[in-house]
Amino acid sequence: MSEYKEIRDDQIRVINSENLKKKPSRTQWIIIISVLTLLFVGIIIGAVSHYKKNKIQQLQEPEPALFEPIEEPEPVPIQWLGNTPDSTALGYTEIQDTLINDIPIRIYIPHNADLSLHIGRMNRKDTTVIFAAQAADVRADNGGIVGAFVLKGEPKAWGLSKKGYCASINGQTTIGVADNSPLFEQATEEGGYFFRQYPLVSNGEIVENELKGKSIRRGICERQGEIFMVETGTPESFHDFSQALVDLKVNQAIYLVGSSAYGWAVDQAGITHEFGDDNYYTGRRKMPKNTSYIVWRRK
Amino acid sequence: MMNMQSKLIISTTTELVRISPTKIVYISSDGNYSTLMQVDGELRILSHQLGQIEKMIETQLRNDSNNFIRIGKSLIINRAYIYYINVAKQKLILSDAATFNYSVPASREALKQLKDLVEKEMK
Repeated sequence: MSEYKEIRDDQIRVINSENLKKKPSRTQWIIIISVLTLLFVGIIIGAVSHYKKNKIQQLQEPEPALFEPIEEPEPVPIQWLGNTPDSTALGYTEIQDTLINDIPIRIYIPHNADLSLHIGRMNRKDTTVIFAAQAADVRADNGGIVGAFVLKGEPKAWGLSKKGYCASINGQTTIGVADNSPLFEQATEEGGYFFRQYPLVSNGEIVENELKGKSIRRGICERQGEIFMVETGTPESFHDFSQALVDLKVNQAIYLVGSSAYGWAVDQAGITHEFGDDNYYTGRRKMPKNTSYIVWRRK
Repeated sequence: MMNMQSKLIISTTTELVRISPTKIVYISSDGNYSTLMQVDGELRILSHQLGQIEKMIETQLRNDSNNFIRIGKSLIINRAYIYYINVAKQKLILSDAATFNYSVPASREALKQLKDLVEKEMK
Protein backbone atom coordinates (compact mmCIF):
# COMPACT_ATOMS: atom_id res chain seq x y z
CA MET A 1 0.00 0.00 0.00
CA SER A 2 1.42 3.31 -0.95
CA GLU A 3 2.08 6.05 1.55
CA TYR A 4 -0.66 8.67 1.90
CA LYS A 5 1.79 11.32 0.91
CA GLU A 6 5.21 10.33 -0.14
CA ILE A 7 7.97 11.43 2.20
CA ARG A 8 11.58 10.46 2.63
CA ASP A 9 13.33 9.90 5.92
CA ASP A 10 15.36 13.08 5.47
CA GLN A 11 12.23 15.19 5.03
CA ILE A 12 9.74 16.73 7.35
CA ARG A 13 6.40 18.45 6.79
CA VAL A 14 3.91 20.24 8.91
CA ILE A 15 0.64 18.40 8.70
CA ASN A 16 -1.73 20.91 7.25
CA SER A 17 -5.39 20.62 6.34
CA GLU A 18 -4.78 23.24 3.68
CA ASN A 19 -3.22 20.44 1.71
CA LEU A 20 -6.68 18.92 1.46
CA LYS A 21 -7.90 21.84 -0.58
CA LYS A 22 -5.33 20.91 -3.12
CA LYS A 23 -4.66 24.34 -4.38
CA PRO A 24 -3.42 24.30 -7.94
CA SER A 25 0.33 24.53 -8.04
CA ARG A 26 2.10 27.24 -9.94
CA THR A 27 2.67 24.86 -12.82
CA GLN A 28 -1.00 23.97 -12.82
CA TRP A 29 -1.89 27.64 -12.83
CA ILE A 30 0.40 28.18 -15.81
CA ILE A 31 -1.23 25.28 -17.64
CA ILE A 32 -4.72 26.53 -16.82
CA ILE A 33 -3.92 30.06 -17.93
CA SER A 34 -2.24 28.77 -21.09
CA VAL A 35 -5.24 26.65 -21.98
CA LEU A 36 -7.61 29.53 -21.31
CA THR A 37 -5.44 31.85 -23.40
CA LEU A 38 -5.36 29.39 -26.29
CA LEU A 39 -9.10 28.93 -26.00
CA PHE A 40 -9.64 32.68 -26.07
CA VAL A 41 -7.34 33.11 -29.08
CA GLY A 42 -9.10 30.24 -30.83
CA ILE A 43 -12.48 31.83 -30.22
CA ILE A 44 -11.25 35.18 -31.54
CA ILE A 45 -9.76 33.56 -34.67
CA GLY A 46 -12.91 31.55 -35.23
CA ALA A 47 -15.10 34.60 -34.85
CA VAL A 48 -12.94 36.65 -37.24
CA SER A 49 -12.81 33.90 -39.88
CA HIS A 50 -16.56 33.37 -39.56
CA TYR A 51 -17.11 37.08 -40.03
CA LYS A 52 -14.83 37.16 -43.08
CA LYS A 53 -16.48 34.08 -44.57
CA ASN A 54 -19.89 35.66 -44.18
CA LYS A 55 -18.62 38.83 -45.76
CA ILE A 56 -17.13 36.92 -48.74
CA GLN A 57 -20.29 34.92 -49.15
CA GLN A 58 -22.25 38.13 -49.24
CA LEU A 59 -20.03 39.35 -52.09
CA GLN A 60 -20.15 36.11 -54.03
CA GLU A 61 -23.04 34.93 -56.09
CA PRO A 62 -24.70 32.04 -54.34
CA GLU A 63 -23.96 28.77 -56.01
CA PRO A 64 -26.94 27.00 -57.47
CA ALA A 65 -28.28 24.21 -55.37
CA LEU A 66 -27.75 20.70 -56.62
CA PHE A 67 -31.36 20.19 -57.49
CA GLU A 68 -32.13 23.75 -58.38
CA PRO A 69 -33.79 23.81 -61.78
CA ILE A 70 -31.47 25.15 -64.43
CA GLU A 71 -32.88 28.18 -66.05
CA GLU A 72 -32.44 27.71 -69.73
CA PRO A 73 -32.69 30.72 -71.96
CA GLU A 74 -36.00 31.18 -73.60
CA PRO A 75 -35.80 29.84 -77.14
CA VAL A 76 -35.92 32.54 -79.72
CA PRO A 77 -39.34 32.30 -81.31
CA ILE A 78 -39.20 31.32 -84.92
CA GLN A 79 -40.25 34.22 -87.08
CA TRP A 80 -40.67 32.96 -90.58
CA LEU A 81 -40.83 35.38 -93.40
CA GLY A 82 -43.80 33.70 -95.04
CA ASN A 83 -47.33 33.01 -93.98
CA THR A 84 -48.43 29.73 -92.49
CA PRO A 85 -51.37 28.65 -94.62
CA ASP A 86 -53.62 25.73 -93.80
CA SER A 87 -51.91 22.50 -94.75
CA THR A 88 -54.92 21.53 -96.85
CA ALA A 89 -54.74 24.68 -98.92
CA LEU A 90 -53.63 24.47 -102.52
CA GLY A 91 -49.92 24.95 -102.92
CA TYR A 92 -48.64 28.31 -104.09
CA THR A 93 -45.64 30.60 -103.97
CA GLU A 94 -45.79 33.56 -101.64
CA ILE A 95 -43.91 36.46 -103.17
CA GLN A 96 -42.47 39.24 -101.03
CA ASP A 97 -40.57 42.25 -102.31
CA THR A 98 -38.22 44.06 -100.01
CA LEU A 99 -35.12 46.23 -100.04
CA ILE A 100 -31.92 45.16 -98.32
CA ASN A 101 -28.82 47.37 -98.49
CA ASP A 102 -30.52 49.29 -101.32
CA ILE A 103 -30.81 46.05 -103.23
CA PRO A 104 -34.35 45.19 -104.39
CA ILE A 105 -34.97 41.65 -103.27
CA ARG A 106 -37.81 39.35 -104.26
CA ILE A 107 -38.46 36.43 -102.02
CA TYR A 108 -40.27 33.34 -103.27
CA ILE A 109 -41.69 31.23 -100.47
CA PRO A 110 -43.31 27.96 -101.54
CA HIS A 111 -46.25 26.70 -99.50
CA ASN A 112 -47.71 23.20 -99.47
CA ALA A 113 -45.24 22.06 -102.07
CA ASP A 114 -42.37 19.60 -102.36
CA LEU A 115 -38.95 20.26 -103.75
CA SER A 116 -37.64 18.14 -106.61
CA LEU A 117 -35.18 18.50 -109.44
CA HIS A 118 -35.74 18.26 -113.12
CA ILE A 119 -33.42 17.92 -116.08
CA GLY A 120 -34.38 19.15 -119.51
CA ARG A 121 -37.14 21.28 -120.84
CA MET A 122 -39.84 22.16 -118.33
CA ASN A 123 -43.48 21.86 -119.24
CA ARG A 124 -44.78 25.31 -118.50
CA LYS A 125 -48.34 24.04 -118.60
CA ASP A 126 -47.75 21.70 -115.71
CA THR A 127 -50.18 23.16 -113.15
CA THR A 128 -48.59 21.25 -110.31
CA VAL A 129 -45.49 23.40 -110.58
CA ILE A 130 -45.66 26.50 -108.39
CA PHE A 131 -42.01 27.44 -108.74
CA ALA A 132 -39.23 26.59 -111.15
CA ALA A 133 -35.73 27.97 -111.50
CA GLN A 134 -32.53 26.68 -112.97
CA ALA A 135 -30.50 24.84 -110.38
CA ALA A 136 -27.07 23.51 -111.32
CA ASP A 137 -24.79 25.03 -113.90
CA VAL A 138 -24.10 23.33 -117.15
CA ARG A 139 -20.61 22.93 -118.47
CA ALA A 140 -20.01 24.96 -121.59
CA ASP A 141 -17.67 22.41 -123.10
CA ASN A 142 -19.62 19.21 -122.99
CA GLY A 143 -22.99 20.25 -121.64
CA GLY A 144 -22.62 18.17 -118.52
CA ILE A 145 -23.94 19.17 -115.11
CA VAL A 146 -21.44 20.95 -112.93
CA GLY A 147 -21.19 19.37 -109.53
CA ALA A 148 -22.75 16.32 -107.99
CA PHE A 149 -26.32 15.80 -109.02
CA VAL A 150 -28.88 13.19 -107.98
CA LEU A 151 -32.22 13.00 -109.72
CA LYS A 152 -34.83 10.97 -107.88
CA GLY A 153 -32.16 8.68 -106.48
CA GLU A 154 -30.18 8.46 -109.72
CA PRO A 155 -26.74 10.07 -109.72
CA LYS A 156 -26.24 12.19 -112.80
CA ALA A 157 -22.97 13.89 -111.93
CA TRP A 158 -20.24 13.56 -109.30
CA GLY A 159 -18.27 16.78 -109.40
CA LEU A 160 -17.09 18.49 -106.20
CA SER A 161 -16.00 21.83 -107.66
CA LYS A 162 -18.78 23.68 -105.86
CA LYS A 163 -19.01 23.46 -102.10
CA GLY A 164 -22.64 24.45 -101.67
CA TYR A 165 -25.27 21.78 -101.84
CA CYS A 166 -29.02 21.37 -101.67
CA ALA A 167 -30.71 18.08 -100.95
CA SER A 168 -34.34 17.06 -100.85
CA ILE A 169 -34.86 13.65 -99.34
CA ASN A 170 -38.24 12.35 -98.24
CA GLY A 171 -39.68 15.84 -98.23
CA GLN A 172 -36.85 17.21 -96.09
CA THR A 173 -34.86 20.00 -97.73
CA THR A 174 -31.31 20.66 -96.56
CA ILE A 175 -28.99 23.42 -97.67
CA GLY A 176 -25.36 23.54 -96.61
CA VAL A 177 -21.71 23.98 -97.42
CA ALA A 178 -19.32 21.03 -97.30
CA ASP A 179 -16.72 19.29 -99.43
CA ASN A 180 -18.40 15.99 -98.89
CA SER A 181 -21.94 15.45 -97.80
CA PRO A 182 -23.45 12.11 -96.86
CA LEU A 183 -26.70 13.48 -98.23
CA PHE A 184 -25.43 12.68 -101.71
CA GLU A 185 -25.35 8.97 -100.86
CA GLN A 186 -28.55 9.24 -98.89
CA ALA A 187 -30.35 10.90 -101.80
CA THR A 188 -29.09 8.11 -104.02
CA GLU A 189 -30.28 5.43 -101.64
CA GLU A 190 -33.64 6.96 -100.80
CA GLY A 191 -34.74 8.32 -104.13
CA GLY A 192 -33.98 11.89 -103.26
CA TYR A 193 -32.51 14.89 -104.99
CA PHE A 194 -29.14 16.54 -104.64
CA PHE A 195 -27.24 19.23 -106.49
CA ARG A 196 -24.31 21.52 -105.96
CA GLN A 197 -23.85 25.24 -106.48
CA TYR A 198 -21.71 28.10 -105.26
CA PRO A 199 -22.05 28.64 -101.54
CA LEU A 200 -23.30 32.08 -100.47
CA VAL A 201 -23.99 31.86 -96.74
CA SER A 202 -22.83 29.24 -94.26
CA ASN A 203 -24.11 29.24 -90.69
CA GLY A 204 -25.19 32.85 -90.96
CA GLU A 205 -21.84 34.05 -92.27
CA ILE A 206 -20.93 35.19 -95.74
CA VAL A 207 -18.94 32.83 -97.96
CA GLU A 208 -16.65 34.82 -100.19
CA ASN A 209 -16.50 33.83 -103.85
CA GLU A 210 -13.87 34.84 -106.32
CA LEU A 211 -16.43 35.30 -109.06
CA LYS A 212 -16.43 38.79 -110.45
CA GLY A 213 -19.03 40.83 -112.24
CA LYS A 214 -22.59 41.78 -111.53
CA SER A 215 -25.69 40.04 -112.60
CA ILE A 216 -29.19 39.20 -111.49
CA ARG A 217 -28.55 36.87 -108.62
CA ARG A 218 -30.70 34.04 -107.42
CA GLY A 219 -30.30 31.71 -104.51
CA ILE A 220 -32.05 29.15 -102.39
CA CYS A 221 -31.93 29.84 -98.69
CA GLU A 222 -32.70 28.34 -95.32
CA ARG A 223 -33.66 30.67 -92.53
CA GLN A 224 -34.77 29.24 -89.17
CA GLY A 225 -35.87 26.13 -91.03
CA GLU A 226 -37.83 28.03 -93.64
CA ILE A 227 -36.82 27.35 -97.27
CA PHE A 228 -37.25 30.03 -99.86
CA MET A 229 -35.72 31.43 -103.02
CA VAL A 230 -34.35 34.94 -103.40
CA GLU A 231 -33.82 37.02 -106.51
CA THR A 232 -32.25 40.41 -106.86
CA GLY A 233 -34.09 43.04 -108.87
CA THR A 234 -30.82 44.59 -110.04
CA PRO A 235 -27.46 43.17 -111.12
CA GLU A 236 -25.34 42.55 -108.03
CA SER A 237 -21.95 41.08 -107.20
CA PHE A 238 -21.74 37.79 -105.42
CA HIS A 239 -20.47 39.55 -102.34
CA ASP A 240 -23.27 42.09 -102.14
CA PHE A 241 -25.83 39.40 -102.79
CA SER A 242 -24.38 37.19 -100.07
CA GLN A 243 -24.22 40.15 -97.68
CA ALA A 244 -27.85 40.95 -98.33
CA LEU A 245 -28.75 37.37 -97.47
CA VAL A 246 -26.73 37.56 -94.28
CA ASP A 247 -28.55 40.76 -93.40
CA LEU A 248 -31.78 38.92 -94.05
CA LYS A 249 -30.54 36.60 -91.29
CA VAL A 250 -30.33 33.64 -93.60
CA ASN A 251 -28.57 30.64 -92.07
CA GLN A 252 -27.58 28.75 -95.21
CA ALA A 253 -27.73 29.78 -98.85
CA ILE A 254 -26.38 28.57 -102.16
CA TYR A 255 -26.55 30.05 -105.59
CA LEU A 256 -29.05 29.27 -108.33
CA VAL A 257 -28.44 30.05 -111.95
CA GLY A 258 -28.86 33.80 -112.26
CA SER A 259 -28.88 36.35 -115.01
CA SER A 260 -31.35 35.53 -117.78
CA ALA A 261 -32.03 31.96 -116.65
CA TYR A 262 -35.70 31.39 -117.03
CA GLY A 263 -38.14 30.42 -114.28
CA TRP A 264 -41.50 31.22 -112.83
CA ALA A 265 -43.59 31.24 -109.71
CA VAL A 266 -47.32 30.79 -109.23
CA ASP A 267 -48.82 32.89 -106.49
CA GLN A 268 -51.84 32.23 -104.30
CA ALA A 269 -54.14 33.81 -106.88
CA GLY A 270 -52.81 31.43 -109.54
CA ILE A 271 -50.98 34.17 -111.37
CA THR A 272 -47.68 33.10 -112.94
CA HIS A 273 -44.72 35.39 -112.33
CA GLU A 274 -41.94 34.73 -114.81
CA PHE A 275 -38.35 35.79 -114.44
CA GLY A 276 -35.35 35.52 -116.69
CA ASP A 277 -35.32 35.44 -120.44
CA ASP A 278 -38.11 33.53 -122.02
CA ASN A 279 -36.36 33.81 -125.37
CA TYR A 280 -33.61 31.73 -123.94
CA TYR A 281 -36.18 29.06 -123.51
CA THR A 282 -37.81 29.38 -126.89
CA GLY A 283 -35.45 31.38 -128.96
CA ARG A 284 -32.77 30.55 -131.38
CA ARG A 285 -30.27 29.53 -128.83
CA LYS A 286 -30.50 25.91 -128.12
CA MET A 287 -31.02 25.15 -124.52
CA PRO A 288 -28.51 22.65 -123.19
CA LYS A 289 -30.21 19.32 -122.75
CA ASN A 290 -28.79 19.00 -119.24
CA THR A 291 -30.32 22.22 -118.05
CA SER A 292 -31.55 21.43 -114.55
CA TYR A 293 -34.35 22.96 -112.59
CA ILE A 294 -35.29 23.19 -109.01
CA VAL A 295 -39.00 22.59 -109.00
CA TRP A 296 -41.61 22.98 -106.29
CA ARG A 297 -44.74 21.01 -106.96
CA ARG A 298 -48.01 21.16 -105.13
CA LYS A 299 -48.45 18.34 -102.62
CA MET B 1 -3.16 27.54 20.44
CA MET B 2 -4.71 24.13 19.96
CA ASN B 3 -8.45 23.97 20.14
CA MET B 4 -9.28 21.96 23.17
CA GLN B 5 -12.65 21.02 21.86
CA SER B 6 -11.40 19.05 18.86
CA LYS B 7 -10.73 15.38 19.31
CA LEU B 8 -8.95 12.93 17.13
CA ILE B 9 -10.98 9.81 16.63
CA ILE B 10 -9.19 6.73 15.44
CA SER B 11 -11.63 3.97 14.72
CA THR B 12 -11.34 0.35 13.57
CA THR B 13 -13.98 -2.31 13.04
CA THR B 14 -13.81 -3.38 16.66
CA GLU B 15 -12.52 -0.44 18.68
CA LEU B 16 -12.30 3.33 18.79
CA VAL B 17 -9.82 5.76 20.33
CA ARG B 18 -10.98 9.30 20.97
CA ILE B 19 -8.17 11.56 22.18
CA SER B 20 -7.45 15.21 22.46
CA PRO B 21 -4.54 16.28 20.22
CA THR B 22 -2.80 17.83 23.21
CA LYS B 23 -2.56 14.41 24.79
CA ILE B 24 -0.58 12.99 21.91
CA VAL B 25 3.22 13.19 22.17
CA TYR B 26 4.07 11.34 18.99
CA ILE B 27 2.92 8.56 16.72
CA SER B 28 5.47 6.23 15.20
CA SER B 29 5.22 3.66 12.47
CA ASP B 30 5.38 -0.01 13.22
CA GLY B 31 4.90 -1.65 9.85
CA ASN B 32 1.19 -1.88 9.11
CA TYR B 33 0.48 -0.60 12.58
CA SER B 34 1.19 2.64 14.38
CA THR B 35 2.14 3.37 17.96
CA LEU B 36 0.64 6.37 19.69
CA MET B 37 2.43 7.71 22.76
CA GLN B 38 0.22 9.68 25.09
CA VAL B 39 1.36 12.34 27.57
CA ASP B 40 0.36 10.06 30.39
CA GLY B 41 2.96 7.54 29.26
CA GLU B 42 0.46 5.09 27.82
CA LEU B 43 1.49 3.51 24.54
CA ARG B 44 -1.35 2.55 22.25
CA ILE B 45 -1.12 0.33 19.20
CA LEU B 46 -3.29 1.45 16.30
CA SER B 47 -4.18 -0.83 13.41
CA HIS B 48 -3.55 1.94 10.86
CA GLN B 49 -0.52 2.84 8.88
CA LEU B 50 1.14 6.14 9.74
CA GLY B 51 0.00 7.70 6.47
CA GLN B 52 -3.60 6.91 7.34
CA ILE B 53 -3.16 8.52 10.77
CA GLU B 54 -1.70 11.60 9.10
CA LYS B 55 -4.77 11.83 6.84
CA MET B 56 -7.07 11.51 9.87
CA ILE B 57 -5.25 14.34 11.58
CA GLU B 58 -5.64 16.53 8.52
CA THR B 59 -9.32 15.82 7.98
CA GLN B 60 -10.46 15.81 11.59
CA LEU B 61 -8.34 18.49 13.21
CA ARG B 62 -8.46 20.83 10.25
CA ASN B 63 -6.69 24.02 11.32
CA ASP B 64 -5.22 22.37 14.39
CA SER B 65 -3.54 19.75 12.26
CA ASN B 66 -0.51 21.94 11.79
CA ASN B 67 0.42 21.26 15.40
CA PHE B 68 1.70 17.94 14.18
CA ILE B 69 4.81 17.46 12.07
CA ARG B 70 5.55 14.48 9.94
CA ILE B 71 9.24 13.55 10.24
CA GLY B 72 10.46 11.06 7.68
CA LYS B 73 8.59 7.85 6.97
CA SER B 74 8.20 6.71 10.57
CA LEU B 75 7.20 9.56 12.85
CA ILE B 76 4.58 12.19 13.57
CA ILE B 77 5.29 14.45 16.50
CA ASN B 78 3.31 17.04 18.40
CA ARG B 79 5.33 20.20 17.92
CA ALA B 80 4.17 21.48 21.27
CA TYR B 81 6.46 18.98 22.92
CA ILE B 82 9.65 19.60 20.99
CA TYR B 83 12.13 20.03 23.77
CA TYR B 84 15.58 19.22 22.46
CA ILE B 85 17.14 18.91 19.00
CA ASN B 86 20.74 17.95 18.38
CA VAL B 87 21.48 17.51 14.72
CA ALA B 88 25.07 16.36 15.22
CA LYS B 89 24.13 13.75 17.79
CA GLN B 90 20.97 12.96 15.77
CA LYS B 91 18.83 13.40 18.84
CA LEU B 92 15.24 14.61 19.27
CA ILE B 93 13.62 14.71 22.68
CA LEU B 94 9.91 15.34 23.16
CA SER B 95 8.99 16.48 26.63
CA ASP B 96 6.72 18.72 28.67
CA ALA B 97 9.68 19.25 30.95
CA ALA B 98 7.67 17.90 33.81
CA THR B 99 6.07 14.53 33.47
CA PHE B 100 7.51 12.84 30.35
CA ASN B 101 10.63 12.79 28.27
CA TYR B 102 10.83 10.71 25.09
CA SER B 103 13.75 10.41 22.69
CA VAL B 104 12.60 9.56 19.16
CA PRO B 105 14.63 8.56 16.07
CA ALA B 106 15.05 10.91 13.12
CA SER B 107 17.61 11.47 10.38
CA ARG B 108 20.10 14.31 10.68
CA GLU B 109 18.70 16.08 7.66
CA ALA B 110 15.20 15.83 9.05
CA LEU B 111 16.38 17.15 12.38
CA LYS B 112 18.15 20.03 10.69
CA GLN B 113 14.97 20.97 8.84
CA LEU B 114 12.97 20.67 12.05
CA LYS B 115 15.43 22.90 13.85
CA ASP B 116 15.16 25.47 11.05
CA LEU B 117 11.38 25.30 11.19
CA VAL B 118 11.27 25.94 14.91
CA GLU B 119 13.76 28.77 14.61
CA LYS B 120 11.64 30.44 11.93
CA GLU B 121 8.64 30.38 14.20
CA MET B 122 10.59 32.50 16.62
CA LYS B 123 11.08 35.29 14.11
